[in-house]
Amino acid sequence: MTLWALAWRNVTRHRRRSLLTGGVVVFGFAAFALAGGFMAQSLEGLREGTIRSGMGHLQVADPAEFEGGSEGTLEHALPRAAEVEAILRADSEILEVMPRIDFVGLLTNGKRSVPFLGVGLDPPPEGRTMDHPKTLLEGRWLLDRSERGVILGAGLAKTLSLRVDDTVTLLATTGDGTLNAVDATVAGLADIPIKELDDRFLATSLGLASDLLAASGRVSKLVIVLRDTGGVGPARQRIRQALGARGIEAAVKGWEELAQFYRQVRVLYIGIFGFMGLVLVAVVLLAVANIMLMAAAERTREIGTLRAIGTRSGFIRRMFLAEGIVMAALGCAAGALLSLALRVVLNHSGIMLPPPPGATHGMPLHVKIYGVAYAAGALAMLATLALASWFPARRASRMPIIEALAHV
Amino acid sequence: MGLQDFADEPILAGAGLTRTYRLGSTRVPALKGVDIEIRRGDFVVVQGPSGSGKTTLINLLGLLDRPDGGSVLLDGRPVGAMDEDTLADLRRDRFGFVFQTFSLVPVLTAAENVAYPMALKGLPERECRQRALRLLERVGLAERTEVRPDLLSGGERQRVAIARAIANDPEVVLADEPTANLDSETASGVLDLMRDLNTERGVSFIVATHDPRIVARARRVVALRDGRMAGGA
Repeated sequence: MTLWALAWRNVTRHRRRSLLTGGVVVFGFAAFALAGGFMAQSLEGLREGTIRSGMGHLQVADPAEFEGGSEGTLEHALPRAAEVEAILRADSEILEVMPRIDFVGLLTNGKRSVPFLGVGLDPPPEGRTMDHPKTLLEGRWLLDRSERGVILGAGLAKTLSLRVDDTVTLLATTGDGTLNAVDATVAGLADIPIKELDDRFLATSLGLASDLLAASGRVSKLVIVLRDTGGVGPARQRIRQALGARGIEAAVKGWEELAQFYRQVRVLYIGIFGFMGLVLVAVVLLAVANIMLMAAAERTREIGTLRAIGTRSGFIRRMFLAEGIVMAALGCAAGALLSLALRVVLNHSGIMLPPPPGATHGMPLHVKIYGVAYAAGALAMLATLALASWFPARRASRMPIIEALAHV
Repeated sequence: MGLQDFADEPILAGAGLTRTYRLGSTRVPALKGVDIEIRRGDFVVVQGPSGSGKTTLINLLGLLDRPDGGSVLLDGRPVGAMDEDTLADLRRDRFGFVFQTFSLVPVLTAAENVAYPMALKGLPERECRQRALRLLERVGLAERTEVRPDLLSGGERQRVAIARAIANDPEVVLADEPTANLDSETASGVLDLMRDLNTERGVSFIVATHDPRIVARARRVVALRDGRMAGGA
């Protein structure tokens, strides 16, 4: 009879104890798998939300543009923008290349003027790939590159008492320092989650922005949307090489480098779930250690017998350890089934979660099958049961044989 | 020294064995200098009332405990300096044990209980099983090989324990009150079995008991009183 066969026999024959221990492991594992799946789903949602909020997967700009501190309009425009755009469009992994002009100016309703943070963009691809149209409270998204319309943050519109279809005037300084103004129509009002930005946000077509700023084909940056988020690293590498080969001095940054907020939330999530995981392991450890100690005490005589007839202490310790591992493996298997079943129930429950940080809308509770969480759960349960088994086993194997045999 | 002289050498001996237990702050002397020699094929009964030191002597001779004074000699060599693993291996290979409370492993069947010491020794599983079945047949339990201990009667359990004790062809079987929990008829059967095995296989038996039926059938009786030999070793 091998060590594992004996361990299996002990686990299956001591049913009450095994069910108790297994129950704790099932609960622990399922909690790990579900919490990890929820965290992964939340982070994935936040990641895609960040990318679709306007960040894109990659951005190409003059290196100084990324560092900020621009003094004048289009001071750090992307060099050889048309050539860069052509290079990017040749890459089959790139879904969209979207030029943008970032600028500041004054918005006036004829009576009052308010400063704004503006972006000139190419409306059709931006509408297809970004969440801009979804943020609209009223009106419609811009139609094309030459449209004379603007989308305003709801806060900015409120400050100037503007409504959809009202006419406004945009004032800004051109690249050569001249003050310029153009008229536009309010096409829509957007709900921007950050109030400070909501009070200053203005989006317009690339054509109108270009006219206002006398940009003459210059753009601040090119925003890239890939076919697959996982391809950011290789795409960045390819683009850098392609631009370098043409001698174009432009910086390429991935969304994660640009999304400081996402990085902070990610660290926060990992911290919260890591702490929860530790608490869970501690609870499982205490519960299982207690059961194992009781089991070892109940089996003191049996251990004494095994040692009397020639079983080495090391074998006794390994036997307990093997029992712990067998119970952990069975518990994890049952826990995996339970978490898969609970996942289906939760994902169909329709429970809405409050808006995550930086978002205006809540999202439905959704738990992903996250392999890392399953692996971490299994590893944590195995380690916990091994630890919980080790100490009573050590105690039992060190007890004098005659004491163990006389144990009542 | 001839071959016969070697055969007459004790395989197991205790010289000046003393053992004192601590019960809280009280020291209770259980053995106070006992000398005993066991030869191949012996059937020695250690007799005495409760508290006389019988179990302590069995424990010391079976290498289950270490004496405070004196020494246990196996093949004339003291075992006191041996580590726990070496003693475990000696118990597995050269000793067999029969306890008053049967002490079978509850999760194993009768056959598995008997096979266990052989598996510990590293014998192939198939051989362990075949040998276990033969031994169970020898002790009259051919029909009960796949039954767990909790479903066996007291007499059957003790027969399984005896089969387990002789599984690795030991030189010495130590039995501590083997009939104490059995009725007269069953006890008599168990006793017959031990005597038969002693005769058939030349296994030495050391039986601690205060059962007069066993004493009556002993080849040699060692009487203990208050931790000392009362005569006869």
